[in-house]
Amino acid sequence: MIPEIGNIFLSISASISLCLFSLIFIKRYVDINFRYTLSKYLSIFIFFFIFVSFLLLSYAFLTDDFSLRYVANNSNVSLENVYKFSAVWGAHEGSILLWVLVLSLWNFFISIYSKTIPKSIVVDMLSIMGILLLFFLLFILFTSNPFDRIFPIPLNGRDLNPLLQDPGLIIHPPMLYIGYVGTSVPFVFAIAILLKGNINISWIAWLRKWVIATWLFLTFGITLGSWWAYHELGWGGWWFWDPVENASFMPWLAITALLHSLIVSEKRGIFISWSILLSILTFSLSLLGTFLVRSGVLVSVHAFANDPERGLFILLFLSVVIGLSLGLYYVKSPKLVFYKKYSITSKEFMLLMNNLFLTITTFAILLGTLYPLISSSLNIGKISVGAPYFNFIFSALMLPIIFLMSPAIFTSWKNTSYNKIQKKLFKIFFYSVIISYIFANIFFSTKFFIVNIAIFLAVFTVLSSLKRIIDILNTTKQNFIITKIISVPSYVYANSLAHIGIGFVILGITFSTYFSTQNELVMNFGDKVNIKNISIKFSGVKNIVSKNYISQTGIFDYYEDKNYVLSFFPEKRSYNIQKNVMTEAAISSNLFRDIYIALGDKLSENSWVVRIYYKPFIQLLWYGAALMILGGLFGIFGRYKSLKNFSDEL
Amino acid sequence: MNYKISALPIFIFLGILYFLYNGLYEDPTVIPSPLIGKTLPVFESTSLISNKALTNKDFLGKSYLLNIWASWCYGCSLEHDNLLDIYNNDKILIYGLNYKDDKKSALDWLKSKGNPYSDIIVDTSGDIGINLGVYGAPETFLINSDGLILFKHVGPISTGFYEKEILPLLLK
Repeated sequence: MIPEIGNIFLSISASISLCLFSLIFIKRYVDINFRYTLSKYLSIFIFFFIFVSFLLLSYAFLTDDFSLRYVANNSNVSLENVYKFSAVWGAHEGSILLWVLVLSLWNFFISIYSKTIPKSIVVDMLSIMGILLLFFLLFILFTSNPFDRIFPIPLNGRDLNPLLQDPGLIIHPPMLYIGYVGTSVPFVFAIAILLKGNINISWIAWLRKWVIATWLFLTFGITLGSWWAYHELGWGGWWFWDPVENASFMPWLAITALLHSLIVSEKRGIFISWSILLSILTFSLSLLGTFLVRSGVLVSVHAFANDPERGLFILLFLSVVIGLSLGLYYVKSPKLVFYKKYSITSKEFMLLMNNLFLTITTFAILLGTLYPLISSSLNIGKISVGAPYFNFIFSALMLPIIFLMSPAIFTSWKNTSYNKIQKKLFKIFFYSVIISYIFANIFFSTKFFIVNIAIFLAVFTVLSSLKRIIDILNTTKQNFIITKIISVPSYVYANSLAHIGIGFVILGITFSTYFSTQNELVMNFGDKVNIKNISIKFSGVKNIVSKNYISQTGIFDYYEDKNYVLSFFPEKRSYNIQKNVMTEAAISSNLFRDIYIALGDKLSENSWVVRIYYKPFIQLLWYGAALMILGGLFGIFGRYKSLKNFSDEL
Repeated sequence: MNYKISALPIFIFLGILYFLYNGLYEDPTVIPSPLIGKTLPVFESTSLISNKALTNKDFLGKSYLLNIWASWCYGCSLEHDNLLDIYNNDKILIYGLNYKDDKKSALDWLKSKGNPYSDIIVDTSGDIGINLGVYGAPETFLINSDGLILFKHVGPISTGFYEKEILPLLLK
């Protein structure tokens, strides 16, 4: 009975979504206040009904209701409760339900936190959300219903994919989805503005916080995914340019561009038509990603199901929504083009370059991701472009962006005198060259020129962001250090922390890519491996039986300068039901290095293939991501009042 | 910005849409055989039926299907009726390659099930199969009169295989 209620609630919310959508057509006949109030209530109801059906599905999982096909396929009596709950979004049907839940949540939030923009815009935004919600609800009801029954009822379920039985994966999908689906907010805003045909600059300040929030969740979600891959996949990598990773990375790049172009739109009233196009682009990439993941057109570790019917459903929706949006853009956007003069040394120009390179990067990754489809369509054979293409094109396009980050910080709007830039940047530039030279050549003695460049850019970025904070601290009239720190406007922290984070990420990537030691070798019990001043001894393997898997746990003792420090316990787990074997790497981390040990294949009773990696400074990657997220938090919750006082300083 | 530039996104989008739609009905896990468009590998063997020598040159000058089969292969018994149908209705010549099989059981198999093959190459060691990139029986190749491989199908062929897959290629 309970699942039927879930089904009914989904249908009800689909009908309410249709009502919400229809509000856009009765503009002329119904009073705006009435429509506004109505749209708010409808939004609450949609969220409520979807939320309850989501809870009902969770309940079905927690109570092992295997009469539901979806539960039977993705859960098991012996699964731990926390994984029973995360199994709700462990496969296609439930993850689409999560998608739509998150969409209704964003919709609900727009209806609450939109007091600073006109009611007519809010109603239009919610209405357009209505059609998006309607589509995804129909998609669930017709092609991917998690409440479908199965008969005969199996006694036990087929268990959750063991890959997903990991703490990192409990929150990775929800976080990623919040960011992914959040791209709908700038999208509906863009459409509402295009429909209206004009814009007030103050509305952009409102949009910017939503964009930062979306960006923050995307960043967090992608980081969690990488972190999980690093710990769980057992070959020490954290990014694979897999189509599904790209599907989340492309919206991230586009929304990062949007974040920056909105600054120009808000402060100078230009780039507005471009910001609107970027908003549409970001959401399109999000929909495209959903299509790529759900239709199975590309081979990926994330492949859920190869189902052309589902793919066609999404593709049709995508064509209609994006096609209409771009058509509307074609008709209306020329009205939203404004010109103002700015010189090549202005902040406008710097941010224009940022947008240009980010957009090109997005398209280069899109091209690489779709290349197998393009080449097979054009009958030139099915060719995938792999990591080398992405690594090359991505670094080549990122270097100029990163380089421009520092001058961009110190330029002013309209025009900056060369003297000012020179005065502020010359010393930092000089220090960065020296510091990066010492690091790259004396501590690490690299052969690669690119390593020098990358480290220089990272140091340059970090130092100039720090300098900006210090400059402002020195000019405030506060006397105490704490009041000084508080008096720095939060947007400065937001910007600086995020940029320092980028610097850290680059350092983490560069050091771990170029200076890692990788040992893949056969070890017998008692064998030792020496790397630098450490040695690692393979003591043995023991069997540990757990609730739903059997683990072969290796024991590795780690000695530093011949003193015992700690033991590693990397595992090979065989899951009882799905018969999968999973690798759990054992990692010891500190700021300076990770030691990463993973068990490979068993060769004989006491001999195993073992992977031992020594990765210097890879932790900086995660610290950098954390700083970016922290910067995002400052951006969302920061005070914007003081903005005007500092706008010359910007 | 003028109207011309703001139409650009639409065209880019339509282009991408075209590729996405095309990709929808293709199985991403299918990897095209590297031999497509190339000639049949050189081999020298004997005929299962007549015991005479057979080389790749004996097959030039006509279009035909080359079916990789064996008596131990379950999939081959599934597709056998469809092969007989092609043979009985004179749709196209079929040659067989008896893959890693025992001569006697292969002949017994043909006797009990009927023989759709005009001739059969013996490949007891599986060497010819390796050169053809076979990774399991049954597989079916379409080869044209110049000896070029036009098409490869992995797994049992289904009813209407000739009409759906082969005929369009021959008409090209």
